[in-house]
Amino acid sequence: MKFTFGKLMLGIAVVLTTLGLLRYKPWKKNSGVTARDVIHEGVNKKATRELTVGYLPVTCHLTCPVTDFASKTTQTNTNFNSRVFSDFPTVVSALEAKQVQATFMIVPLAMKLREQGVPVKICYLGHRDGSEVIVGKNSRIRSLKDLKGKKMAIPSLYSNQNFVIHKMMDDFGMQPNDIEFIILPPPDMPTSLAAGAIDAYFVGEPFCAKAELDGYGKVLYYARDIWPNFISCALVVHEDLIKQNPDVVQDLVRGIAASGAWAETHRVEAAKLVSPYFRQDEKVLNYVLTSDPKRVSYVQLTPTDEDLQQIEYQGIKLKLLSKKIPMYELIDRKFVPNEIIPAPIDEASIPNILPAGKK
Amino acid sequence: MINSKHTSSSQKKLQILLPVLVLAGVILLWIIITYTNLFPAYALPTPGAVLKSFKEEFESGRLMNDIIASLWRVAVGFVLSATLGIPAGLWLGQHLYARQACVPMLNFFRFLSPLAWIPFAILWFHIGDKPAVFLIFMATFFPLALATMSAVATIPSIYFKVAKDYNYKGIELLTKVTFPSILPQIITALRVSYGIAWVVIVAAEMVGCQDGLGYGIWDARNGLRLDSAVCYMIVIGVLGMGIDRLLAQLTKLPNVRWGYER
Repeated sequence: MKFTFGKLMLGIAVVLTTLGLLRYKPWKKNSGVTARDVIHEGVNKKATRELTVGYLPVTCHLTCPVTDFASKTTQTNTNFNSRVFSDFPTVVSALEAKQVQATFMIVPLAMKLREQGVPVKICYLGHRDGSEVIVGKNSRIRSLKDLKGKKMAIPSLYSNQNFVIHKMMDDFGMQPNDIEFIILPPPDMPTSLAAGAIDAYFVGEPFCAKAELDGYGKVLYYARDIWPNFISCALVVHEDLIKQNPDVVQDLVRGIAASGAWAETHRVEAAKLVSPYFRQDEKVLNYVLTSDPKRVSYVQLTPTDEDLQQIEYQGIKLKLLSKKIPMYELIDRKFVPNEIIPAPIDEASIPNILPAGKK
Repeated sequence: MINSKHTSSSQKKLQILLPVLVLAGVILLWIIITYTNLFPAYALPTPGAVLKSFKEEFESGRLMNDIIASLWRVAVGFVLSATLGIPAGLWLGQHLYARQACVPMLNFFRFLSPLAWIPFAILWFHIGDKPAVFLIFMATFFPLALATMSAVATIPSIYFKVAKDYNYKGIELLTKVTFPSILPQIITALRVSYGIAWVVIVAAEMVGCQDGLGYGIWDARNGLRLDSAVCYMIVIGVLGMGIDRLLAQLTKLPNVRWGYER
């Protein structure tokens, strides 16, 4: 074969076109929607509208995939598609670009966004409790005081875990630099603890359960022991959506609330339902949800002024938040239904869910 | 070099056999380490678990989707940087003052890790394919332009003297003398920067992506599934190797061959 410039260009063009076609599949309807965007397509023919809601694979966001599932298997007006993200900065960017208009997010980050002028509102909460301080199984650490001079991992400066642990140190009369804080991605925390790189970590589930199940970590404090009714994440909605489509937001909050009420009483089933969405081992999720009722709860999820004021106060004290935002600007409770009825999910339909992409 | 047909065929056999032996050795070592629990299971997944997750990912169709997504991003980013970087290098190589003016800046950007661009990639290109393509472009454009430029700058001046006798000018000079004489170096530069692009894909897909091989690793990590992360690592390595072999084939073409037979 004689090598010519033309042939090379042709080759490159063929490769690019083939890849482009395979990537965007123009012959398929809904092109651009990949297997990961939508776990399974809706069977809910009654639904006239659709909304994508962002979440991360943590139990604090569990009600999001449950609502996705419920909107497809029960009668609702809106079809909800849950969209998984792997980190909060991407979620923020997607929200700013309005690629998602509703998402779950750590509460202080939502406050920070509001402070920076991104018009978002907290409409509901993810769950209560659901975080623990984990230490090595054979460590001699019995209380926070024993952590003096030691290393503790937290997921982000703007996580409520960071706020709460500082509040606790205050209560114990400790100085802010008594503990060396390290920011680590939650999935790396259990392994870092096992390897001895850190002495403790404070994060949401299921990254705490992982260390316990693998046999190298134990719970030092449950979040509820430090800060009653601990909040980690909230359902954050862009104001444009609230203005333009209040009915959808109404459906969303009702759906999330109903999913929470269902998950509270159907914990085994909930673990089974979300494990393909989270792509996590059902065993770990099951452990989180069923081992101890102290771990997580999916009731009492209407955000109160008092709840968020406490968090805001702590954030300002730590100089992570700079401005006091009035609660009426931050919270929108008008969509929370008066009566929360558990989502009528048919348990028999759950095991039939296939992993993402399988149709 | 090669004396008879016999030795050539046995050498070929050896060429295949040796790498296979090393591969088998590495896998055996992996099996031994995991079976003797030298490393606990959470720190190093067993070959069996990886194989199982490979089957799982493949059957769900996710793996194919991720492979296509990553190939597409690397191809677009790489073609983009080649179509801009090679001409830029050619031009800079032929113009001394422009070269003196631009080289420090090009070098500056070359040493910036693509990871540093991540926040801007998200801010400017939001989520989807674009931020990843941008990061791959940023990682490959500068080395490619610099390599092309220095290749042009080292063309023996005798070539241009002869070209002058033939009265080659402008485009003709470029296509008949400059480009062919640096083609071997360009192909090497392409192979090197393709390697960079493929390495960068894991970092590039860390952000703002919803699929791709790099995302697969991050997703597996989030899902506390190291077995599936290893499965993705293997796919990335194998694909990278395969495409490099393809690019290496370019060096065997007659127009380029001369550069390798010295």
